[in-house]
Amino acid sequence: MANTIIMPQLGETVSEGKILSWFKAIGDDVKIGDRLFEVETDKVTVEVEATVAGKLTEIIIGNGVTAKVGVTVAVIGGGAVPPAPQVADTPAPAAPQKLMNAFEEVATPNTHYGNALGPEGLRITPLARRLIVERGLDVKEIARAAAAKGLRKIEEKDVSGFAVQNSSVQHFAPTSSADGQVITLNTIRQRTGEKLAENWRTIPHVFQAIDVDFTEVEAVRARHKERFKRENGASLTYLPFIARAVCIALQAFPHVNARFDGKSLILAKDINLGIAVDLNHNGLVVPVVHAAQDYTLQGLAKALGRQIEKARTNKLTPADFSGGTYSITNNGAFGTSFTTPIINAPQVAILSSDAIRKRPAVISTAEGEFVAPRLIGTLGQSFDHRAFDGAYAAAFLSKLKDIIETKRWAGELGENT
Amino acid sequence: MAKTSSSENDDIGNDARLELWRKQVEIRDCEKRAYDLFLQNLIKGTSHLSLGQEAIAAAFGVAMQKGDKSFCTYRGHAHTLARGVPMEAMLGELMLRDIGLMRGKGGSMHLTSVEHGVMGSYAIIGAHLPIACGSAWRAQYLGEKDVSVCFFGDGTTNIGAFHEALNFAVIWKLPVVFVCENNLYMEYTLNADVTAVASPAGDRASAYGLEKIVIDGNDADVVYRSANVAIEKARSGGGPSLIECLTYRHSGHSRADPGKYRPEGELEKWKERDPLIIYRQRMKDFGFADAQIEAIETESKRKVDHATELCKASPAAPIELLTADVYADGGWAWRN
Amino acid sequence: MAELSYRDAVIRGISQEMERDKNVVFLGEDVAKAGGVFKATVGLYEKFGPLRVRDTPISEQAILGAAMGAAMTGLRPIAEIMFSDFIAVCFDYIANEMPKIAYMTNGQIKCPLVVRTGNGAGVRFGAQHSQSVENWTMMIPGLKVVAPSSPVDVIGLMAAAVRDGNPVIFHEHKALYATKGEVPDGEIIDTLGTAKILRKGKDCTILALALMVHRAMEAAEILARVHGIDAEVVDVRSLVPLDTQTILGSVAKTGRLFTVEENPRLLGWGAEIASIVADEGFWNLNGPIVRITTPHIPLPAADHLEDLALPNAARIVDKIVRVMNG
Repeated sequence: MANTIIMPQLGETVSEGKILSWFKAIGDDVKIGDRLFEVETDKVTVEVEATVAGKLTEIIIGNGVTAKVGVTVAVIGGGAVPPAPQVADTPAPAAPQKLMNAFEEVATPNTHYGNALGPEGLRITPLARRLIVERGLDVKEIARAAAAKGLRKIEEKDVSGFAVQNSSVQHFAPTSSADGQVITLNTIRQRTGEKLAENWRTIPHVFQAIDVDFTEVEAVRARHKERFKRENGASLTYLPFIARAVCIALQAFPHVNARFDGKSLILAKDINLGIAVDLNHNGLVVPVVHAAQDYTLQGLAKALGRQIEKARTNKLTPADFSGGTYSITNNGAFGTSFTTPIINAPQVAILSSDAIRKRPAVISTAEGEFVAPRLIGTLGQSFDHRAFDGAYAAAFLSKLKDIIETKRWAGELGENT
Repeated sequence: MAKTSSSENDDIGNDARLELWRKQVEIRDCEKRAYDLFLQNLIKGTSHLSLGQEAIAAAFGVAMQKGDKSFCTYRGHAHTLARGVPMEAMLGELMLRDIGLMRGKGGSMHLTSVEHGVMGSYAIIGAHLPIACGSAWRAQYLGEKDVSVCFFGDGTTNIGAFHEALNFAVIWKLPVVFVCENNLYMEYTLNADVTAVASPAGDRASAYGLEKIVIDGNDADVVYRSANVAIEKARSGGGPSLIECLTYRHSGHSRADPGKYRPEGELEKWKERDPLIIYRQRMKDFGFADAQIEAIETESKRKVDHATELCKASPAAPIELLTADVYADGGWAWRN
Repeated sequence: MAELSYRDAVIRGISQEMERDKNVVFLGEDVAKAGGVFKATVGLYEKFGPLRVRDTPISEQAILGAAMGAAMTGLRPIAEIMFSDFIAVCFDYIANEMPKIAYMTNGQIKCPLVVRTGNGAGVRFGAQHSQSVENWTMMIPGLKVVAPSSPVDVIGLMAAAVRDGNPVIFHEHKALYATKGEVPDGEIIDTLGTAKILRKGKDCTILALALMVHRAMEAAEILARVHGIDAEVVDVRSLVPLDTQTILGSVAKTGRLFTVEENPRLLGWGAEIASIVADEGFWNLNGPIVRITTPHIPLPAADHLEDLALPNAARIVDKIVRVMNG
């Protein structure tokens, strides 16, 4: 039964010690109380005695070597003695409960009502700033009025007498008793929300959907997904198949991969594929895989995985968001049939893939028509009706379906039959 | 079964002797375990051991009654055990676990058990001497019969609170016993080098109209007799006493201190007068069988091991304790 | 109802509590036979006897230590530290012993006692006998701290302090001992941790303590009459626990905060309150928080210099007008 000898705790603030010299050699017998070694810390030099008996079988930290407190420095083996008590860390306490109060003795307000420096170079007192926001006032107008009066700052008195200016600006009514919890949007949501509203307002969206049979894709995917996971650390989902098919289809329908500036449709040279990534219900970001048409299925799967991972770990750079020409949004996780997505201007279309699941389908065979379960998913596309018309868009979807259902996916994954 | 005392004039008696022996042995074993646990980083912070000074705490522990109040310093493990506090509560506090006497809130220097009359261990030198006077004043005022016993070191005799407390206790004739454990050293300095008189406590007694009492602090019988006299004097309204007990500490001031400032041979000379060596022989002299003497030692080691296991198994205190008991209502609210 | 002086209110407050509870005892220097150097404890010795009202030697550490030991084991002592400056002499008990014993012992030991002390300036005692040291006690976790400004508050807060069960530092103001106020008959018990709005107003909030309360009230009258500024005056009364709700509520109403502090500038009691309001009450502020204090100097003995140093009504008015109109 071996006993480990550790670098002892030699002082309240000591964290390591240097062994100056061993008094025992490997193979020596050790009795309780024998001097083992001399250790030097930044405060003191001490001789350490043995608390167990046995034979010194191993010296791990030798003369002149420094080790941290608690590190094993030697082993004393054998002997019919109880083992030296194990060095046990203090057991972790039960899952810590919220101690908010102790460290929030003063309730710092959560809301920020704007900066101290306002328009016209005037400073605005905190109270005035709050009132401006709460009453939905126009700070520029207030600042102009104050400047005109020759004031150097804006106080509460300078804010009264102004009514709500813009009816489209939200008027914050005092909270009524009918209100429940107020959830303020985080910055990402706010910014995204503004953009979404703008896009919805300005682009004439038309939505078309097509059912796609994924049974063959799934067969190939099932054969390769574990190897893929092992080799790449990322999952092989339906998304890379859809994205690859989109890239091929877009090359046949270039108007769908274009920019609309109000007058002209500017076709893009590359397919810069944007993938909508949900940040744990905390907002949406759409990172881009540039020149996606150059990737094979496996390459595209890895590139998509990288962008999604970067999005989830908050490592995206501005370059990751720039230059998108077409977007895909995955909404299947909760089993929805289809989704009508909002286009990311200045793109002209966006594809949604929803739940892919077994549905009854009519299969035509030489023996006749049968109903069989097939893996079917609905792909839906919102497109900008100014950029092209419904027939073009529908033909694109038809091509997409065809690619997904009939392409030799096995070849893309290295099967050579 | 012990034989009757060999001396017919044994004023101490078998029961007390067994208690004196047991307490010293248990204090020794528990303090040695504390030493080991500190080296294993299971006892954190600081630790001031009473190795070599067991006789004083043990003797007073036997002499004091239930209800008497003791006040000691940060070198208070021995005094805490001597009043009957279970080993696991004491070691547990040193290990800062939930099983500890104060659940880790106070640590080694502040051991307190109101249940056992241990009314605090005090880290600021001299602070508890006036506090012990206050406890004694309360007893006197309410007509209660308990005695307050206050333990401190030789260095304390030079701090202001010592002198204020002695004067205070004498003029109000308080039921308090002041016990100076003179182990010759303050932290690293020989107390004699910085004290105007040879006996730091004994030679101050006359300044306060008290009798000079300097005794061998390593002989539990000697301390026990002296303790009984002083406690009885206090209990019967005779006022305070100041007792200086000569002793020596085997280890450094605290765990960080290997005690290298001590002259060559001094430790060895004092170890020959180790209280346990003295008292083992005393037990034999008074007819106790080896088996009985050793049985107490064996049982002590078993208790220490058992206490150690209990402590190791004990979790740290829940974090709600961080803000608990700042005020008497258990809370900590400084604002509304 | 009767008119009582501040010093007679001290006697009445202590007396009320000693009558109610036999465990309340009182000790200090010259407090018993002489009735106190400020004559604030006259008659207690005669009424309650030499066992309950005790003269001590000049031993501040022993006074507080003994009070603590007695409190720990069953009594409810009131201890006097004659001049609050002397808190520095026995600071170990104020900072290290009394406020920490409950916490360190995991609630086993409590320390129910009151330390009453003569605080403040204005009586020409010089630098070591004139300080305002509420902040020396406010800053220690585990203590409670009060500073009454009127006789009725002396009685009520003394009663609350004795009954509280914690170490309470009771700062009496030396320059207020002779002042008088209306006091109702019968038992008076107040609540620690409560401020009092002495003058309601809408333009600015003035916080003050003890002697400065009277000067703030004087200033408020001038502000209203001469400058058309309607000030709300809050007597803070209790520094720990602090009535932040009343203070924050007042600032929410007025948007402006001023403190009037007798202590020297740095880290006076108003600094902490200013910090709390600048944090929790930030969006109610319509101007900077301004502290009006004694300058950061020891106090002189010379009467004209001492009067110049402490905030007075004129200086308070001047500062507030300049800030409000700035």
